[in-house]
Formats: sequence, C-alpha cells, structure tokens
Amino acid sequence: MMLRLWLSLSILLALGVALAVPGFLAFSSLAFWTGPGPAAILAGEWYPYEKLYGLLPALVGSLWAALLALAIAIPSGLAAAVVSAELLSHRWRALVRIGMELMAAVPSVVYGLVGLWLLLPLLQTAFGLLTGHSLLAAGLLLALMILPTFMTLGEDALRAVPADQREAAMALGLNWPACLGRVILVQAWPGLRSAALLALGRVLGETMAVMLVVGSLDRLPRPWWNLLQPAQTLTSRIGREIGEAAFGSLHFAALMACALLLAAMGSGIAFLAHRRGADR
Amino acid sequence: MIKIIFSCVWLLFLSLAGQAAETVRVAGSTTVLPIVSEAAKQYRESHPRVRITVSGGGSGVGIASILQHSADLGMSSREPTPEEQARLDGQAELIPVARDAVAVVVSKAVAVGGVKALTLDQIAAIYRGEIANWKQVDGPDAEILVIDKEPGRGTRHVFAKAVLGDERARAPGARLVAGSNNEEQTIVARSDSAIGMLSNAWLNDRVRSVAVIVDGEPIPPTLEHIQSGRYPISRDLLLLVPRNARTEVTDFVDFILSPPGQKIVSQVGYLPVQ
Repeated sequence: MMLRLWLSLSILLALGVALAVPGFLAFSSLAFWTGPGPAAILAGEWYPYEKLYGLLPALVGSLWAALLALAIAIPSGLAAAVVSAELLSHRWRALVRIGMELMAAVPSVVYGLVGLWLLLPLLQTAFGLLTGHSLLAAGLLLALMILPTFMTLGEDALRAVPADQREAAMALGLNWPACLGRVILVQAWPGLRSAALLALGRVLGETMAVMLVVGSLDRLPRPWWNLLQPAQTLTSRIGREIGEAAFGSLHFAALMACALLLAAMGSGIAFLAHRRGADR
Repeated sequence: MIKIIFSCVWLLFLSLAGQAAETVRVAGSTTVLPIVSEAAKQYRESHPRVRITVSGGGSGVGIASILQHSADLGMSSREPTPEEQARLDGQAELIPVARDAVAVVVSKAVAVGGVKALTLDQIAAIYRGEIANWKQVDGPDAEILVIDKEPGRGTRHVFAKAVLGDERARAPGARLVAGSNNEEQTIVARSDSAIGMLSNAWLNDRVRSVAVIVDGEPIPPTLEHIQSGRYPISRDLLLLVPRNARTEVTDFVDFILSPPGQKIVSQVGYLPVQ
C-alpha cells in the first residue's frame, strides 16, 4: 500500500515538474512575448536600460559555441572511444575510463577558471588578440567539458555490440577497419547518437564556464563567422543579469524568454533523440 | 509510518528555523564585501552563536535581495535608482559605512608606456570608441582593450555617471564585459593594453590607476583626495538594513560602525565614515 502510494506520488511529481518548469518559464516570460514580442528574437540590440531586448546576438553566440564544441568533441571523442573500446588492453582501458570519469565529475566553474587562467592567454598570444575572451575560447572549453561525457557513453555503446557480431564479421573475412565501419559503428549508432545529443544538451545549458571566457559582449560577430571576438550566449546573459532583474519586470521577463528558448531547444533535442530512437 | 515521516520533517523544519534565527545572510556589492567579510570574522569571535554568510553578486543583487527578502543585509556601492528607491521606501534604510573612489585602471604596460593621467573627456572618448589606440593619449602604440561592467554593478553606475554623464549611458567602445572586482582585476592584470574601472582597494602593481585631470591638475584616487572630494569619481559604500531587522542584524551593523569596525574599513583600503 505504502509502496504503491509512494510510486504513484513519484510519477505525479515527475510529470508535475515536467509540466511546471516550461509552464513557469512561459508564464514569467509572458510580458516579453506580449511586449517586445517574438520579433525581438531576431533583433540585434540588447540594452535593458533602453528597453531593447534583441535576442539574436546571444542566440547566435549560443549556437556558434555549441556547434564549435560538438565539431571538436565528437570526432575526437569517437576516435578515443573506438581506441579505448576496441584496441586497449583491459588494464589501460580501466585507467582511461577512470580518468575520463574524473574529468566528467569536475565542476564547471573549475573548467571556467582553468579557461580563464590558461586558455585565454594562450589564445591571446596564438592569434595576436586584444583579449582571449571569444566564442572560440567558449567552444574549446565546452569541447573539453563534453569530451569525457561523450567518450564514456560512446565507449559503452561500442562495447554493448555483441562479440558474436564481431566474430561473424571477422569470419566473413572483413578486416578490422571494415568491421569497424560496417558492423560495430552501425550497431552502436543509436547509442552514439544519444551520447551526442546528450552532449549537445550540456553544451547549450552550460553557464559558469562559458560566462567566464566568452566576454559577455552583446554584439553579433563581425563578420558573422568571426569566432575570435567576444560574444554573448543565452546562458551567460542569464547568469550575469538575473540577480539584479527585479521579479516581474520586463527585464526579468526577457531573461525568462532566453531561458524558455534554451528549454525549448533542450526538449527539442530530447524529443529528437526519443523519436529517432523509436524509429528503429 | 506516516506519523514518523511527519515528525521527522517537522523536526527538520524546526531545527532549520532555529538555526535561521542566528544566521545573518549578507549579499551584494563585491566592493563592500571585504569590509563585511572581515568584520564578520572579527564579530564571530565575540558572538560565536551568530553565523554570518557573505556572498557577492553586485549592488543590483544586493538591492534586489533586500526587496525579495532573500538576504538580511544588502551591500551596495551606489545609490539605488529611482525605481529601486521607490520600492525600497519604508522597507529598508541605507547606511553609509565607508567612502571609496572608482579608480580608472590600466594595465601596467600602459602606465609604464606613459599614460599617467587622463581627462574625463578622454576617458569618455575611449569608452565611446572615439579613441581606440593608446597612441592618441600619448601612450604606447597599442589598441585599447576597453572593459565595461555588468549593467547593475555599482562601480559602473558611479563611473558612467561621472564620465559619460548618465549612470545608464552605453559604452559602444567596450570590447569586454566583466562582473566582480576580482574578475575585472584579473583581466586587466593579464592584458597589456586594458582600461577598466575598479574600486580603489583593488589596485596593485599590475593593475594601476591613472590620475584624473581636473582643472588641469592630475588628481590620483588617494584617500586624501576622496576625503576632500577633489577626486571626481567617488561614492559612499552602503549597507541596506531592512526595517524591523532582527537584533543580530542591527547589532552587526552597529559593530561595523563602531571604532573596531571602522578600523577594518581603513585596513581594507577605504575611508571610514565615523
């Protein structure tokens, strides 16, 4: 009786949270959608004191940082996962695994400080910049942060491919690269895809580390592909401004709109992962 | 079973409530923070039962957390804006605990390169993006890294009002936005061409202040010039004390205003008010 009550309360709680969070975000950003309106998403200027709430610079910044991080972390993480799952001896694999799991457990503010003290001066001298604060710095740092997540999950996916499939492929005369490309990666693909989507979710939501290295300048990159300039992301803006935005003000509503966009992107990703998974 | 759970939750609640009565939560300006955290350390020695937690976030956060009742004591390095003041009226009292200057700081290389003093107009032109190279103000041939601050920060309000004429003025020349004093200090120290704004207490060898030229005379942000009012970018450091604050809170404020508390103020680099 108690158990059943407990279980049903828990599922109600889970459902309630799943509905309450977007509901709260939508409700508290209402003033933004009815005031500046959805058109403000594509406006380029954000200056709360002048009631300018253009979301485009931060949106572009978030997407750039996320794409850059994925473009670095996914190929290298996949390669590392393949090496670790397929080629290393048991002992080395365990060692790599522990290292990766330790890296995944480091709090993001620590990555941010490492970025601030090591990465930024490095970029500054390497590219002759005025300051290392840039989308590139954010992308590199994010790549470093999601690499362990993606690699460990990817390795799990690779190792979940049954041994008899490999043996069958080898028995058919496939060499190792062919076996990897035609059998193992194909079999592990759903797991790898979920790992990548999970990584994307973390990249979009990461705040502290990004805030410390991205420069928080609300301006579109000029030209649009220039990643060496300071920029702003949705999360770094929320992190910098939410403390002082009075509850119920238009500024607060606009920040909640940023959060709603992030939540929408996150659930879009989760939905995609779920649906594509169900197709198979 | 349910009874047991209920009584556990109730006990937990009671114990938290009991603890909260002796905890003083302070939040806000990172400029005021050194005074309060040092004062908290000394205050605890004579009042071991009172726990004081101090966190930063900026003056905007300090004022907002008093309005939202999420702190017992707010720190601010600027006057509240008219909107904030309207909501604070009747809710909290502003108590000046120290005076401070907002120093115009530059990287060591810039100071060594010859920039020792600037007029307010020159600083304004730099922040508006009209002067973009140190060469234009007799410094080294280097592009200027102009550092702005988060909009709610007290340092920014005071600086923007004195330099750009309006506490909410934009700074289109800015290349970077920093938050706390520590963050800004780090960025200036790591650069060789930066200009920024920092509380007077954060200056060091790698983060140097330039004098501000007033009526043809360079005025450095020293305590004497803050006291005489000749340095043009100075301000009161404030504590926001809610009306009907608990005795622990008012007692702690009294301690900061007492001679030992004011001694801490000068130790961390500000000017006492008493």
